[in-house]
Amino acid sequence: MKFVGIVGSNAELSYNRKLLQFIKTQYQDLFELDVVEIKDIPMFNQSDDQTNTAPIQQLNQKILAADGVIIATPEHNHTISAGLKSVLEWLSFKIHPLENKPVMIVGASYYDQGSSRAQLHLRQILDAPGVNAIVMPGNEFLLGKVKEKFDENDQLTDTNTVKFLQGVLEKFVDFVRLVNRLEARKEEPLPKEDLYVTDTIETTIECVDMAAEDWVEQAAAKVNAVEGDTYVKLNRGILTVDQINTFLASMPMELTYADDNNQFLYYNYTKEAEDMLADRVPGQVGNPLALCHPERSLTSVEWVIQQLRSGRQDVVRVHVPTHGPDKFVVHNYQAMHDDEGNYKGINEYILDFKPIVDWYLQQTGLRLEGEIDAGSGASQQDHGVDAGSGASAKA
Amino acid sequence: MKHFIGLVGTNSDHSTNRQLLQFIQSHFREHATIELMEIKSLPVFNKPEDSSVPTDVKEMAEKIEQADGVIISTPEYDHAVPASLMNALNWLSYGIYPFVDKPVMITGASYGTLGSSRAQAHLRQILDAPELKARIMPSSEFLLAHSLQAFNEDNQLVDPEQIEKLEGLFADFVIFVDLVTQLVHAHGSNKKAAENFSWDNL
Ligand SMILES: Cc1cc2nc3c(=O)[nH]c(=O)nc-3n(C[C@H](O)[C@H](O)[C@H](O)COP(=O)(O)O)c2cc1C
Ligand SMILES: Cc1cc2nc3c(=O)[nH]c(=O)nc-3n(C[C@H](O)[C@H](O)[C@H](O)COP(=O)(O)O)c2cc1C
Repeated sequence: MKFVGIVGSNAELSYNRKLLQFIKTQYQDLFELDVVEIKDIPMFNQSDDQTNTAPIQQLNQKILAADGVIIATPEHNHTISAGLKSVLEWLSFKIHPLENKPVMIVGASYYDQGSSRAQLHLRQILDAPGVNAIVMPGNEFLLGKVKEKFDENDQLTDTNTVKFLQGVLEKFVDFVRLVNRLEARKEEPLPKEDLYVTDTIETTIECVDMAAEDWVEQAAAKVNAVEGDTYVKLNRGILTVDQINTFLASMPMELTYADDNNQFLYYNYTKEAEDMLADRVPGQVGNPLALCHPERSLTSVEWVIQQLRSGRQDVVRVHVPTHGPDKFVVHNYQAMHDDEGNYKGINEYILDFKPIVDWYLQQTGLRLEGEIDAGSGASQQDHGVDAGSGASAKA
Repeated sequence: MKHFIGLVGTNSDHSTNRQLLQFIQSHFREHATIELMEIKSLPVFNKPEDSSVPTDVKEMAEKIEQADGVIISTPEYDHAVPASLMNALNWLSYGIYPFVDKPVMITGASYGTLGSSRAQAHLRQILDAPELKARIMPSSEFLLAHSLQAFNEDNQLVDPEQIEKLEGLFADFVIFVDLVTQLVHAHGSNKKAAENFSWDNL
């Protein structure tokens, strides 16, 4: 399970940050926690809409992709910090990522009341119609007199507190499961995907047949694409096109780029189809995604793109056991976003990570437990995306 | 004649709460001078380690110190006080204490039917915090609902009942200000308590 933890303080030294960081490491068996900061988010102003700036969009994406959110609030003048309130106002103005999101509140303050009043206000705020989060009832976690609570390694010293916090967090994990099950049932169906690419986007190279075997050559001529030893400026560096190719070819994985218009634009071509984990052939590049997959798997392909485009999931992974027990093959469909958080397509990377695991086990002396069941595709259950791709569709 | 500060509780360019304060300013000009104060330009409060406060804030604090009372008009954002107003109040209680024992009257306007009632309740709790400790006029509430429809083009409140209610509250506030100046016994210790009070020493 993946949670986002919002540090409700923008102070340089923050006990609420320490608290979330402690939760992240101490309870990593319960969930994965991404601790996020609010200090780059400007003061909310109704007459100066900055919803589409990078800091707000990044937070938006993270919250949308998370199973739940933990907010750690300070208390300033009997209420939550102005910085945190400002963030919640941005997240209830033009966008509403907290809608129906399970939320747990924790808080640390210097005083013995431990942010109790701020937490009550925060509950009311999260309950407002523009926010509409689902806050876990009861289970207050207040850390009062916080300056005395951490040791020099930022660990909570009181074992009862650590145990109590564990209990509360376990309940939150159950709560998240429950809420997400309720919400799943009434989730709106997502818009259809245009898998045959009947439309264009700004970057589409027009007037070239997408299905053509030599799409790359035709399209390159059309836009005068640079190649060879021409320099390209990147974030952050300068490489020639040859160097970029060398670099991408050396990646220990099969990389594929599909844009947000569902057009297959690139793969790091180093092997012939029969030697690849997921076969691709050079002539496929440029195809609409519909032509890269067999008909029967198009609904799964569409489901994956819908998840990524809507932000319901940031990455969809599929475990493909058909390569036998001496390979751990995972297909990763990673959503890509620009600086403003707009969906930009899929980075599909496919790799056998067994060599890395083996190396790691050898280095550390750790062992894997249990049998590796090569045959079962348990994790593919509902939405298996067909592993075999394009070549089979073409045949 | 009394001198009040009318604190606009939002950084928005178009605000019915600003309109309300402008109305109060002109409607009661025979009884008090009212200077409107904006909170737009303030940076996000971040508890600077060196306890420094922007000059804008110092000037605001000075004006509040000088005034007989403050009228705060708050919008309601997400059932609470807007971040920009909370932000201003954080600065105005960070090593400076212009609100301690300052008579305050709260008003508020909202687009909906409730007239910012929940934000006003929060604002009372906020103003009661140890470093603000304002003297909030008790048992009084001015809620302007449907605020987008509440004014005519001359910026006058259209509902005579609302005007009458406001006149009553304003007259009470003038008396309340005088009463508070008589509550001198606790003043010295309140001021000292706020000044000696430091969250860092807890
Ligand atoms: C302007 C100001 C007002 C504060 N008001 C309160 C308060 O009302 N109640 C409280 O418990 N702590 C209050 N504190 C102290 C906070 O406990 C402390 O700043 C914060 O909660 C600690 O969180 P952090 O370390 O994550 O920033 C206040 C601090 C400041 C600077
Ligand atoms: C982020 C956001 C949240 C809001 N939440 C509320 C609310 O909880 N209750 C309400 O009555 N109006 C809400 N509003 C609408 C109005 O802004 C509000 O009624 C306000 O009090 C109008 O004051 P103003 O004209 O001075 O800006 C919200 C507006 C924004 C931008």
